[in-house]
Amino acid sequence: MVVKQETKSMTGNDAASYAALFAKPDVIAAYPITPQTTIVENLSRFVDEGKLEAEFVIVESEHSALAACMGAAWSGVRTFTATSSQGLLYMAENVFWTGYGRLPIIMPVVNRCLAPGWNIWPDFQDSMAFRDAGWIQMYTKNNQEVFDTTLQAFKISESKDIALPSMPCLDGFVISHTTGQVDLPDPEDAFEFVGPYDDPVIALDVENPWAYGSMTGPDQYSKHRRDLMVAMERAKKKIIDVHKEFEERFGRSYGNGLIEPYGDDEADLTLVTLGTIGDEAHEAIDRLKAEGHNVNALRVRTFRPFPVENIVEFAKKNHKLVVIDRAASFGHDGPLRIEVEAVLKRHNVDTSVSGKIMGLGGEDVPYSAIIDLAKKELKE
Amino acid sequence: MIEVIQISRGGSGGITGAKILAESAMYEGLDAQAIPKYGSERRGAAVEAYIRFSNAPIRIHSPVYEPNHAMILDISLLDRIDISKVDKDGVIVVNSKEVPEELKGTGRKVAYVDATGISLELGLVLSGFTLVNMTMLGAFVKGTELISFENLEKAIRNYWGEKRAPKNVEAAKRAYEETKVVRA
Repeated sequence: MVVKQETKSMTGNDAASYAALFAKPDVIAAYPITPQTTIVENLSRFVDEGKLEAEFVIVESEHSALAACMGAAWSGVRTFTATSSQGLLYMAENVFWTGYGRLPIIMPVVNRCLAPGWNIWPDFQDSMAFRDAGWIQMYTKNNQEVFDTTLQAFKISESKDIALPSMPCLDGFVISHTTGQVDLPDPEDAFEFVGPYDDPVIALDVENPWAYGSMTGPDQYSKHRRDLMVAMERAKKKIIDVHKEFEERFGRSYGNGLIEPYGDDEADLTLVTLGTIGDEAHEAIDRLKAEGHNVNALRVRTFRPFPVENIVEFAKKNHKLVVIDRAASFGHDGPLRIEVEAVLKRHNVDTSVSGKIMGLGGEDVPYSAIIDLAKKELKE
Repeated sequence: MIEVIQISRGGSGGITGAKILAESAMYEGLDAQAIPKYGSERRGAAVEAYIRFSNAPIRIHSPVYEPNHAMILDISLLDRIDISKVDKDGVIVVNSKEVPEELKGTGRKVAYVDATGISLELGLVLSGFTLVNMTMLGAFVKGTELISFENLEKAIRNYWGEKRAPKNVEAAKRAYEETKVVRA
C-alpha cells in the first residue's frame, strides 16, 4: 500500500537534504562549494535545530570531508556528504579509497563543469571523471527523483552483499537551485524504508581488531578488484529490487531503476540521455510524435553499474540510437555514446548509434534543440 | 503552460519572490517551477528568474525565452526585457507610479504599482535595499489573475514564519489593492 505523502515546493538541493535527514546519518562531513552549498547548509541547520542527531564534522576541505566520512564509515555508521565539480576533484584520492575500500558512503554530486574557464553551470564532466572509482552512479531528471534516488541509495549501498558507495547525480542549478514540487513521505515511513544500518561489513570492534589499507600483493589486490566487479554486477539486481520496493511503498518509479524507456517499445529513432536532458527529451518526443514522427527515448538512470542487458534488449527492438552526452572524453567521444556503442557491438546488435555532445558548461539544451537533432538524424 | 520572466536587482529579493510564487501556484493545484538564473549576479546587478505554472507535470528545464507575462521589480531594468517576445495578451507587471513612457501607446496590458513606496512605508529595507519582492507578488496576482491572493498569502506566511510574515503579507495585500491594470 502506498503511504501518505505531502507535496512540497522545494529546490533539488532541499530534496537531497530531506532524503539525508529522513535516513538519519550518524556522521556528516562536508565542505561548501557552488552549487552544492545549500545541501551542507540545510544539514548543518537540521543538526543545529535538533532535527537530526548526527555528528556534523566541520572540515577545511573536500579532501578532509571525505576522509572524515571514511573514518566514520570504517567504524560502521551511516555516513553522508555532498560535493560538486572542483570539490570532487579535490577529493579525488579519497573517492577511490572509498570505492575500492567498499565504504557505503552516500554523496550526492551536484554536477558542475570543470575549470578552466571558470563556470558554475552544469555538465557531467565532474562525476564522469570518477566513473571507474567503484561508486554506484545514478543520474536524476528532477527534484522528486533526487529525493527518491538519494533515499534508495542508502538502502542499496549499505546492503551487506553490495557494500559500495553511491553518488546520486543532479544537474547543478537546473535541479539544485530550481524550485519544483516534491512529494515527501512522513520521516518515519522514509526511515522504515531505508532501515537502520545495523549490520555493516566493516565496523570498529575493539574486541576483534582489524587493520585496513595495509600492503597488498598482486594476487590479493586483483582478487579485491574482482570482488568489486562482482559486487557491481550484484548491484544491478539490488537497484531493481530496491526501486521496486520503493514503488510499492511510495508509488513512484523510473523505468526499472536502471533504465527509463519512454514512448513506444519500437521506433525509427531513439534518444538516449542522462539527467534533466532526459526529462526535456520526453517533451521533445511528445511533440515529434504529434507531428507524426516515430520516435522514443531511453534515459539511462544508472550509469554505474552499466545496465548492459537492459540496453541490449531495448536496442534490439529499435533501429537507430542517438546518444546525447553532457560530457566529453577528449580524443574519443561522449562517454555514454562510447559505452552504448561498445555494448551493442559486443552483443552483436546491429542497431546504429550516433551521438552529439551538448549542454557543456550549462549550455541550454531546450526541447527545441533536441527536436532539431532528432529531425536531422531521421533524415540521415 | 504559463511562463513568466522576472527581472530584479540583486538584493531586492527577486529570487525569493520567484520561489514563493511557485509555492503559491502549488496551493492553486498547479505544477510550478521557479528557476533563478545564476552567474555573476550580485547586489545591485540585474537578476533574472523564470517561473512556470502548468496543469500537467512540467518537464522543461530551460530558461523562459518567450514569456506569457513579465514582471519588472526595478523600472530602470525595463529595457532588459524584449517586450516583443512577451505574449501580446500577457501582462507586464511593473514597479512604477504610472505607466512607463516606454510602454505608452503600445497597447500592452500593464499592471503598475508603486511597490518601492509601499515597501518603504512598511520598513521593508535590508542593507540599503528596498525589498519589493512580496509587494510585487501582490501586483502580479492582481494583474494576471492566475493565483488567488489567499494562496499567495499562504505561501508568504509559510516562507516567512509567524514573526516576519505580517509585514510581508501587508506589503503584498497593499499592492494587490493599489495595483492598476490598464491598456497602455
